[in-house]
This record gives sequence, C-alpha cells and structure tokens, in this order.
Amino acid sequence: MKLRPFRIALVLITSLIPLALLAVLVFLGRYSWPAITFNGWHFLFGHTWNLGNLYADPVMQRGQLAPIGANYGILVFIVGTLLTSAIALLIAIPISLGVAIFLAEGLGSNLKMILSFVVELLAAVPSVVYGLWGYAVLTPLVARVIGPALRSTLGFLPFFSGSIGSGYGLLAASIVLALMVVPIIAATVRDALSQVPSETKEAAYALGATHFEVIRRAMLPTVRGNIIGACILGLGRALGETMAVLMVSGGALNYFPGNIYSPITTMASFIVSQLDSAMQDPTGMAVRSLAEIALILFVISVITNIIARLLTGTSRNVSSV
Amino acid sequence: MSEKKTAHSVRTAVAASLLTLAVAGSFGAAPAFARTVNIMETGSTLLYPLFNLWVPAYTHSHPEVRINTQGTGSGTGISEAISGVAQIGASDAYMSDPQMKQNPNILNIPLAISAQTVNYNIPGLNNTHLKLNGPVLAGIYDNHIRYWNAPAIQRLNPGVRLPHHRITPIHRTDGSGDTFIFSQYLSFSTPYWNSHVAYGTTISWPAVPGGLGALGNPGMVQSAAQTPYSIAYIGVSFANEVRRAHLGTALLENRAGHFLLPTKTTVEAAAGQLINKTPKDERISLVFAPGAHSYPIINYEYAIVNDHQKNTETANAMRQFLMWTVNPRGGNARSFLRQVRFIALPARISALSRKQIAKIR
Amino acid sequence: MSRPFKPSRMTRRKWLSAAGWVFAASSFLLVATPLLDILYTVFRKGMSALSLTLFTQVTNGISGGLLNAITGTLALVSGALIFAAPVGILAGIYLSEFGRSRFGQMVRFLDDVLTGVPSIVLGYFSYVTLVIGLGWQFSVLAGSITLAIMVVPYVARFTEIAFLQVPNSLREAGYALGLRELTVITRIALPLALPGILTGVLFAIAISLGETAPLIYTAGWSNFLWNGRLIHEPIGYLTYVIWSFINQPFRSAHALAFAAAFLVILMVLVINVGLTILLKRTRPIRPGQR
Repeated sequence: MKLRPFRIALVLITSLIPLALLAVLVFLGRYSWPAITFNGWHFLFGHTWNLGNLYADPVMQRGQLAPIGANYGILVFIVGTLLTSAIALLIAIPISLGVAIFLAEGLGSNLKMILSFVVELLAAVPSVVYGLWGYAVLTPLVARVIGPALRSTLGFLPFFSGSIGSGYGLLAASIVLALMVVPIIAATVRDALSQVPSETKEAAYALGATHFEVIRRAMLPTVRGNIIGACILGLGRALGETMAVLMVSGGALNYFPGNIYSPITTMASFIVSQLDSAMQDPTGMAVRSLAEIALILFVISVITNIIARLLTGTSRNVSSV
Repeated sequence: MSEKKTAHSVRTAVAASLLTLAVAGSFGAAPAFARTVNIMETGSTLLYPLFNLWVPAYTHSHPEVRINTQGTGSGTGISEAISGVAQIGASDAYMSDPQMKQNPNILNIPLAISAQTVNYNIPGLNNTHLKLNGPVLAGIYDNHIRYWNAPAIQRLNPGVRLPHHRITPIHRTDGSGDTFIFSQYLSFSTPYWNSHVAYGTTISWPAVPGGLGALGNPGMVQSAAQTPYSIAYIGVSFANEVRRAHLGTALLENRAGHFLLPTKTTVEAAAGQLINKTPKDERISLVFAPGAHSYPIINYEYAIVNDHQKNTETANAMRQFLMWTVNPRGGNARSFLRQVRFIALPARISALSRKQIAKIR
Repeated sequence: MSRPFKPSRMTRRKWLSAAGWVFAASSFLLVATPLLDILYTVFRKGMSALSLTLFTQVTNGISGGLLNAITGTLALVSGALIFAAPVGILAGIYLSEFGRSRFGQMVRFLDDVLTGVPSIVLGYFSYVTLVIGLGWQFSVLAGSITLAIMVVPYVARFTEIAFLQVPNSLREAGYALGLRELTVITRIALPLALPGILTGVLFAIAISLGETAPLIYTAGWSNFLWNGRLIHEPIGYLTYVIWSFINQPFRSAHALAFAAAFLVILMVLVINVGLTILLKRTRPIRPGQR
C-alpha cells in the first residue's frame, strides 16, 4: 500500500529506543537478582550500607554467599535523591521560565542571539566541571553567604535553621543540579515561545494586555505541554546525575539530613563512588546490590514520570492553528 | 529552494568533518613498530601519579611498548586484572584470602612503599603537631569523642589549649586504599573498632552528624581546609597540598608507644621491621608495625598481575617493565619516588618481587 | 477584558508586568553569573597549560599536550551521533506524526525514563555486555554506543517538539495538493522543524562531550593517538583528563585538567555556533511572520 514501507521503517527504528532501555533493564534485573533475594525489603528501609568483612571468608546467608556482616540498606540515598531532585526542580523551573521569557520576548534579535548562547553554554559545561567549580567556588559561597542569608530569612522553618556546616550538602547539590537542568527547560520554552503564531499575540494585544500579560496569559498556556515535557526531561537529568553531585554533596553515610545544609548522598552518585570498592567483594554481592540500586532508581524514575503525566492530564500534543 | 541550500550546507559540513577526522586519524597511522606491545594499567589513584612518572621515562628507552595508565581505584584495578581487560592492576590493598582462592593465578607484587598522614584544621593550632593515637581516632570517627578538648585528646596533649568545639571527621566517599590503611590502623590498635567496623577500602562509617565524605585526596585537603575543626586522613604524596592549605599534621602513636611523623627514617624503620614477616606471596599489611621508630601507617603499593598472559610478547614486555620498576636504578630510584614521597622497596622485598615477576608467562 | 478603564487597576497591572520583567531579567542574571564564573575559573586555572603544544602533543604522564584526548573525544562524539542522530530524529518524527497510538505513548514514556538512567549504570552495562561479554575490550565502539544510548532520548524529544510546532494547516495544504505523506513530512514539515532538531542534536553533542563515568569503563584511556581500530583499542578523551588529572599531586596535571575543561566548553561552543550559522542562514520564512 501507499505508505507502508516508510511507516514500518519508522516504527522499527523508533523501537530501538525502548529496546535499548529494555536491554538495560533486563541486564539489571538478572544481574541483581541474587542481591534482591539476599536483601529483601530491608534494602529499601535500612539506613546502613555495610560491605561486611571483605577480608574474612564469606558465608552463606539467606541462601546467598555474602561477606560476613554484609548489610545493604539504601533509605538514606533514596531520601537524598528525592530531596535534591525536588529542590533542584523547584529552583530551576521558575528561573528557566524567566530566562526563556527574557530571551524570547525581551530582546532585539541581535542581542537575543548572543545572549541565547548563555543557555547553550550552560549545557556545554561538562558535569565534571560543574563539580569542580561547585567544590571550589560554590561550597564556600554556600557556607559563607547563601546559607546564612537563607537562614536569616527562612530560619523560622526548621528545615532552614540549624548548623550550616561546611557548605557541602543538600543546598549546594541542588543548586548545581538546578544549573544543569535550567538549559534543558529554558531552551525548550524559548524555542516554543518564539514559535507561537503572531495571531495569538496580536489578539491579546488587541484586548489591551501589556507585553508581559500577553506572555503570561496568551503565550505560555499554548506551550504548556512543551513546558511539562521539558520539565520531565530535566527531572530525568537530575535523578541520574552523578559526577557533579558527587563532588559537592558531602557524601553522608548512614544518616539522614537534618536541614537543607546537611550533607547527603544520592543513589546515582553512590553507585559511582562505590563501584570500585564493590568490585573487591569476591562474592559479587556488593556489585549486585549496586545494580539493585540502579533498578530502584529506575523504578523511582518511572513512578515520578507517571505522577508528572497524571498531574498534567493533557496528552502534550500542542494544538496548532 | 531553501531546502536545497540546507541540504547542500549539511553535506558540506559532513564532508568537512569527515575530512578532519580522516586527517586526524592519519596521525595515528604514524610509524607502527613491528610488534608493538600494548599494556593497559589501571587502578589505585595513589599509584597513578607514580606510573605517570614511570611510563614516559620507560617508553623513552623502550619505544616498542605502549603503556596506558588509568587512575580508577584499587578495586577496579584488581577486578580488571582478573578479567583480563587490564594487564596491570594497581592496588593499595593486597587481595583477600577469599579472592585469592577464587583467583589462584594472580600475583600481588609490591612496587614501592607509601605512607599516610592524619591532618586537621584547628584555627590557631595548625602549626602545632598534636599527638593522636588509634583509639582516639576511632573514638572521633565513631562519635564517642565529640569535642576537641575531650579528656582523651587532652591527656595526650598536656599543655596544649584545645578548643571546646565539635570535631568534624572527614572520610573518603570513593573506595580507597587510604581508607584501607587508615581503618587498618584503627582496627589493629582498637579492639572495639575491629569488632564493630573493621577495615576495607570502603567501610560502613558510623554515623557522625555533620561528618563529611570527600572525593579523592585533593577532596580531603579541600574539605579539611574549608571546614574548621575537621580532621582527615591524607596520602603522603599530597604533602605539598597539605602544606599549601595550612593544615596541621598529627604525631601518631605507634605500637611501641612513640609519637611520630612520617619521615624517610620512620617509614623505612617500619618497613624494615616487617621484611622477615613478609610471605612469599607478599600479601601483608605494614600498618602498626612494631619497633620504636616505626611510623604506624604505611603500606606496600601492589601491581596485581595475572601470571598467565595472552601471548609471550606481552608477558615478556610486562616482565621487563615490572623488573625495571622495582630496580633501584630504574623505577625505584630516588628521582622518581621522591616526587610522590614514596620510599623504595627494601632489598629483600625487591628480590621477592622479582621472583614473582619472573613467574609471568 | 471589557471592563471600564480604572486607573488603579491599570496601575496594578502595570506594576505586576514590570515585576514580571524584573523577574525575567534577574533570572537571566542569576544564571549568567555562575556561568561566567565557571568560564573565568576554568580559563584562569588552565591558562598556564594553554599553548600550541596542547594541539600537537599527546599526554605524557602528568603533562604534555592533549592531542590524543581531543581526537579521541571527536571520534567518540561523532560515533555517538552516527547512532543517535538518525534513530533520534526518526523516532521524533514517528512520535509527532503517528505517536498518538498506545505504542507511541509507551515509547515516549520509556524515552523519558531513559534520561533518568545514571550514566554510570549505562557504562557498567556496556562494560559487562560489550567490553567483556562480546570481548570488545576497551574500544571506541563500546564508548560510542553507550553515549548514543544516553543522548538519543534528547534528540527524539526535541525533534518531536519541533515537529509538533509545525501548524497542521501547512500539512493539510500539502495533502490537499496531493503530496505523499513522506513528501509532506520531509519537504514541508522538516525544514520548519530543523531549528528544533538542531537544538536536540546540539544538546546531544554537549552532553556526550561532557560525560566521564561511562567512558571510563568502556573506552578506557589511551596516551596515544587513535589508530582507527573500532574494537580492542582504548582511546583518550578530554573529560578523563579533567576527572583524573585534577586528583594528582602535580601542578602541571591540574593545569592540564583545566585546559581540557576549557577545550570541552570551547568545542561545544564552536560546534554550536557553526551548525547554527550553517542552518540559520538557510532557514525558510516562518508562517505568520514577514
């Protein structure tokens, strides 16, 4: 028939994406299965991660060979991951919208192109460099300026009061993540805003709206779907980011954050920092437990994506004129 | 039509990039020596700087060998040496008995000796060498000793005005040979620590509110410098960084009860004490060595190697290289070791290493 | 708004709008400042290593040049694009034009989830399956495939969004003229969507240029120039220099690390500017605008 070959080719190639994800999923599932049976539900609720005694003979525990004293619990990391991603998005979304509005509507075309590079450059910085800058510049800044400022304004809330510590912690990690997420959201919204048909804008002007009101009430709603889509992509980046977070988060082990300045550890950065040690476990249980962390992260990603979709309700197809 | 222009531009861009790649790639086709041997080294970040000093010097006189170095971590070094992805795995920790049972044909070959300092950042006291010992450090790291002016610390340092301030212990987040030897020092000197936490390249650090994890030795220096009243353990190769950050260095108590700094003398003394106890497979800890002048935290730096290589050329090249590294006129010369503040292997250990290297086929 | 004009209400609206603009401008400043600081820090600390030798020598232990890392990065990123661009663009087209089906929704969903997989997990996956499992050892192919899996969701999403922006009226006009579906998509929608697709590809390039963890376990590291072999041959890349050299106790190594960071940022900028100019010059007039 007419278009079959084209569509079939398209479908086949498109399926490579879910296939790749499925391959990773299957790998993680099979590889971590022994750890899943060994750890049980305790994995999700325990808050100590103990590799056990790697220099003594491993013993059979709960049906699996594992080092003595091995006890894997990741609640601390789950909390760290969720908190950093949530705070990062809370910071990034309004700021990205502001930047997008500023770039799309607030400038003449020459200035627009030049300043737009700010957004491209933010995306260009490798995550390691964010980490380096974070630990050289940001953490002292958090300890000396941002932390105290936050505490004096919002200190009546327990989450913002208390010891500020050394600057390494939840706040610094969230700020770095926000900086990495902003380009994704801002670039998408900026592009979307510049594509809004002028009829829409002219109609709003005709009704007597100020420039900003045109943006807020006429343009943004039409690109709402794109905004949500970009936020989901940004959330993905935040959940999975390793290097930058690793260098500024403070690497807390076995305890929960008491306030926003407290050191934390995220699941993704934990995997990176522990992979090497885990490889020393002769039973392999440690690496398999790390793979289990990756699996849980995957589940969290799926859940947050579902929630985000439910919250928006729309099918995210932009209706066009 | 504009799409034609687009297509044309895209084609030009692709052609240009392919041309650039081709030109760049042709650089790689430079004189290939008949029978170049490739050796991949990966592992410990403590040995990494030393390998990076060794490799250019060695390949200068042996251009038929291409050695690539990677600083990943001791665990990765061991694991990749076992799986064959790397030919030399660098590790600060010797392999455990269970690991040896699983992989009986792996050699643990000491190449040099390294040491570690305990450093702190106490405003006003960084120029003083505080006296600390294993049990006190264990107490700090498991939240029993919380303040700098705690009686246990004050007892060791009479006459020093210690501030009443909470201590922030800093540990390594990444798997690390430094954690391995530091925790061994705590384990060997403090039975309580041994039974509850023990040692390893990663351990389950007891929860200390505010306790920090830092990445790598530079991270330890940076975190300590930025956090007043903190304490950290740092590899001796980074003494310059420690000095630049104005951190204080502790005098550590050894098994004989003396408080020492790591100097060439004290480290060599410790190494000397354990020459006779070093077994043929050279897997032994040098931490908390006996002897009045022995510095308590030192270790062998190992090359983890499979005694069976995939072909004879590789095996020969590896043997040659490794022999050179343990040779006091080659890799073990002062000129190399001085730059990372390691010390050379004692002669008898060097001989044991050479015997193991000879087994590589 | 057909209410009679009231001064106080108008003033309030004016104030709110002004506040909105202040917010927008300050957001931009809030974002531009750290960026400038990052660039400044990187440049300042890498300055001592910036010289022509960076481009003519290979890394030599703790110092030297970066030629092997530069060419290696280019090879890896090109490889990643070769896999990710076609798959991503075609998937984006599918999702926008035909994606209302169950299959399309599932693909979109999994696509988003894929962005959340930490790069280290993909790296370890490739290590076990490609490097060891298929016996490729450290190789350009393993590194490129891993990077491709990482960035393909971004290409697909940006492509989809770009295509969705194209007004349906244009498509309908095309069909009304009797054009085939393939022609409508490639001749009418594609040129209009090109800027958005470009943004997606540029994102993919930026992200893959900046990744470290997955490459450590797939591409390994090499002090030598790439000899063109796709498997059984490790390769150098700039981010490795940033990550590893910064951890060494030598000043020359630190300077090289920052120089590498500077180069990565520069490369993304150059590719960005280059491709944008290339395609903006031939961008067709958009509907509804002069």
